[in-house]
Amino acid sequence: MKRFNSQTFILIGATLFVLYLAGVPLVMLLYGSIRSAPIGEPGATYTIQNYVKAYFDKEFYLLLLNSIYYGLGTCTLTFLIGTFLAWVSERTNTPLKRLFVVMSLIPFIIPGILSTISWILLLSPKIGLINLAIKDVLGLESAPFNVYSMWGMIWAESIHLYPLVFLLMSAAFRNMDTSLEEAALTAGSSTFTTFARVTLPLMRPAMFSVLLINFIRGIEAFEVPALIGVPAKISVFTTKIFLAIHQFPSDFGLAGAYAVTLLVISTTGVLIYGKITRKEERYATVTGKGYRPRVIDLGAWKYLTLGISFLIFFLAVILPVFVLLWSSFIPYYGVPSRELMGKMTWANYQYILNYPLALTAFKNSFYLSVGSATVVMLLTSLIAWITVKTKMPGRGLLDTMTFIPIAMPGIVLGVSLIWVYLTLPIPIYGTIWVLLLAYITKFMPYGIRAASASMIQINKELEEASLTAGGTWFQTFRKVLLPLLMPGFTAGWIYISIIALRELSTSILLYSYNSTVLSIMAFDLWEGGQYTYVCALGVLMVLLLLVMAFTARKLGARVGIAE
Amino acid sequence: MADKRDMVQIESLEKYFGEDKERVHVLKGVTLNIPEGSLYTFLGPSGCGKTTTLRCVAGLERPDGGKISIGGQTVFAFGERVYVPTNKRPIGMVFQSYAIWPHMTVAENVAYPLTIQRRSKDEIRRRVGDVLKVVGLDGLEDRPAPKLSGGQQQRVAFARALINEPKVMLLDEPLSNLDARLRVQMRSEIKSLQRRTSITTIFVTHDQAEALAISDQIAVMHGGKLIEVGAPHQLYARPTRRFTATFLGLTNLIEGKVVELDGDSKPGKIQTKKGLLSFIPAPGLKKDQAAVISIRPENIPLHKEKPQGLENVLEGTVKEAIFMGDAYQCKVAVGDDLLSVHTHPFNAVSPGDKVYLQLDPASCNGLPADDTEGVDETMLGN
Repeated sequence: MKRFNSQTFILIGATLFVLYLAGVPLVMLLYGSIRSAPIGEPGATYTIQNYVKAYFDKEFYLLLLNSIYYGLGTCTLTFLIGTFLAWVSERTNTPLKRLFVVMSLIPFIIPGILSTISWILLLSPKIGLINLAIKDVLGLESAPFNVYSMWGMIWAESIHLYPLVFLLMSAAFRNMDTSLEEAALTAGSSTFTTFARVTLPLMRPAMFSVLLINFIRGIEAFEVPALIGVPAKISVFTTKIFLAIHQFPSDFGLAGAYAVTLLVISTTGVLIYGKITRKEERYATVTGKGYRPRVIDLGAWKYLTLGISFLIFFLAVILPVFVLLWSSFIPYYGVPSRELMGKMTWANYQYILNYPLALTAFKNSFYLSVGSATVVMLLTSLIAWITVKTKMPGRGLLDTMTFIPIAMPGIVLGVSLIWVYLTLPIPIYGTIWVLLLAYITKFMPYGIRAASASMIQINKELEEASLTAGGTWFQTFRKVLLPLLMPGFTAGWIYISIIALRELSTSILLYSYNSTVLSIMAFDLWEGGQYTYVCALGVLMVLLLLVMAFTARKLGARVGIAE
Repeated sequence: MADKRDMVQIESLEKYFGEDKERVHVLKGVTLNIPEGSLYTFLGPSGCGKTTTLRCVAGLERPDGGKISIGGQTVFAFGERVYVPTNKRPIGMVFQSYAIWPHMTVAENVAYPLTIQRRSKDEIRRRVGDVLKVVGLDGLEDRPAPKLSGGQQQRVAFARALINEPKVMLLDEPLSNLDARLRVQMRSEIKSLQRRTSITTIFVTHDQAEALAISDQIAVMHGGKLIEVGAPHQLYARPTRRFTATFLGLTNLIEGKVVELDGDSKPGKIQTKKGLLSFIPAPGLKKDQAAVISIRPENIPLHKEKPQGLENVLEGTVKEAIFMGDAYQCKVAVGDDLLSVHTHPFNAVSPGDKVYLQLDPASCNGLPADDTEGVDETMLGN
């Protein structure tokens, strides 16, 4: 019997790769957090000193409190914004509501670091456009808003994170069986009672899971805490870990202890989330049937909902994009005025394009984004084939392993990988390869979701037909499965390449001069106070993202099934 | 072909599904020989193991015991650890869902077996054209697969299975997704296609009418076992197993004990609750053995007056008579039991009529009664 054919070889290879990517960083992180001395130094012993140092510092509890406060604020505010928009677009007769669907997703494409920067440029007490404008108009002495505060941080984070809530809640509204509501109406309850007694309870699991996932995202967030929290002296876990490594000398052990703590919090959250969503699938509301949601006639109120929706769009998209564009064309930062308008220039762009590192950063970011998206989607397609189509023992574990990195905050992954590649004799630390591995690890969970969802829809007989026609397993995978997976593959690819291009929290611990990426370059320029240059770079980044998303969609349509 | 050797040989095939406690024994030592050039049907109710056997021949399932050879080549042998993967077996298969790849055109679907062998473009074009002509789809080469009707999809599936000139064609319930009229049409098309190509074909179905209409040979399966093999007419007229008698068409069963026997296939006598009856014994039936008589409703002439000088005449009362156009379907009470009788429409009867049934001795098949495996006791008997 031929044991080692190409199929066995490829599948075992993919499985081992996933186990390596997901398992090794976890092990090394735990290992690192109980070592007494920095990596590679002789005489290091096992110790709990790092944890003692972390937990007996009274600052730790302030940190914990700040993180929770920040997470709760973020999940509440994103929930309010996202759910409102989802309700308006799915369940009301607000005019132009279809437009919201497209527009509310725009913040997805803006990298977090740019969105954060734009809100500093808008709400900083000294240079914030909004503050300056209001001060000017009302003749105020001091600035009305201060972005360098807990509320400023929560606002900057939420206005960027709400699209996920919008998507999840839209789906929840859409999937609800309207006959459940109609039954309540025919039983004599009013529209409001129906909403309170039937609609809301039915959506409770969905709402709770959305809140939870955004709480976790808030706690894991890095950009806003780093750019706003650090100057404001409001410390959270992610920035504390970053600072522990960036101080001199680096305290890897302490960073490890904090990272493990953060990992425990986020893992707990992800586990609870998984439990709820699994229960939710059993809930009768989601059947995949195309229900036509009951649309509520708002009467004249529909202009109010339209107004609020437009306001959200204005705050989430128009203002940040405007301030980025505006700042990228002016020689020094200032409020739009006739005088400054006359000084508009391409100089910032010229500076960026001639910046010594810019070309390297563009290239690195591009390769990493395309490379990680492609590898992740190919790898997870193979894994999805194993977990969905075979009865291989241990396939459940493999699925879990592929999904584990979702619980790893970017900064924690960064710390873990430092330990891994400073300890293991694989000489890639400080190269672009360590970033590639980091990105693949981090984005695997998104890939496996997209891949499994499409894989489930492919009838097994389509594969078997290829085998009986004489195709090898590999030919079958390439000629039948991959093309059929293409729509899901493309969607996953676009998503991953976009989030890869703006990745900051992991890269910032792993990059070196030669492996700088765009988001790091933006971070450095910002730290150096070169605001107008950052904005020019940001505009170029967004353009690159748009081009990539557009191209991927075109290519995917050509290869896959014409829809 | 002159040499009527067996194209497919299946020997003591064993297969389990599931793991540990949920392990189910789905094939229990199935042994079959499929003659070259024949249209051979696996027939049985769902869960009988017919599709699993077919998938073992295809190599899509790996048996847990036994041996399979195709055209003299061993493709699976448990003891010797031989397993030829599906793609190396000389087969073509048509699936229940047809499995037409939606991202390819008709021509691309059909050409697939040749494309992966890297045949020349000219050869592929020529052979695709030929095979599409055979299945009656010429001219549709460039149509995208999702734009085909059910019947067309099925023809594409056939063309794809045929193009590589396989030694064996495997058809897994290919007609079950078609509407009734198309099913009958495709049934005869399959049969004539098989005649023309004379490719050994295994056809899996749960539809006994389909099996009778299409097959050269039928293997009746039940509960993971082979029950009986034979030509359609033989299985219908002279079943030797109780399951075959009840599964293929309608029948009446009358229990009794063999009292007189004059060798295989010669008339004997059986003592039943309805009296002493003449019958034809199945091979192997012994004297004093508990037996059951199977007689089809259409083999029971119905008389208003008691016929004279005939054997096996029973008296009864009509309980139900449904006019079907070409026949009356009657239920006749004989003692405590109801017999199904089909009678010619000239012979009008109505409920309450007193009638005499003649159980034509040549049509009374005596089968071993203890062979109760999987018998659905909806007919007469205890």
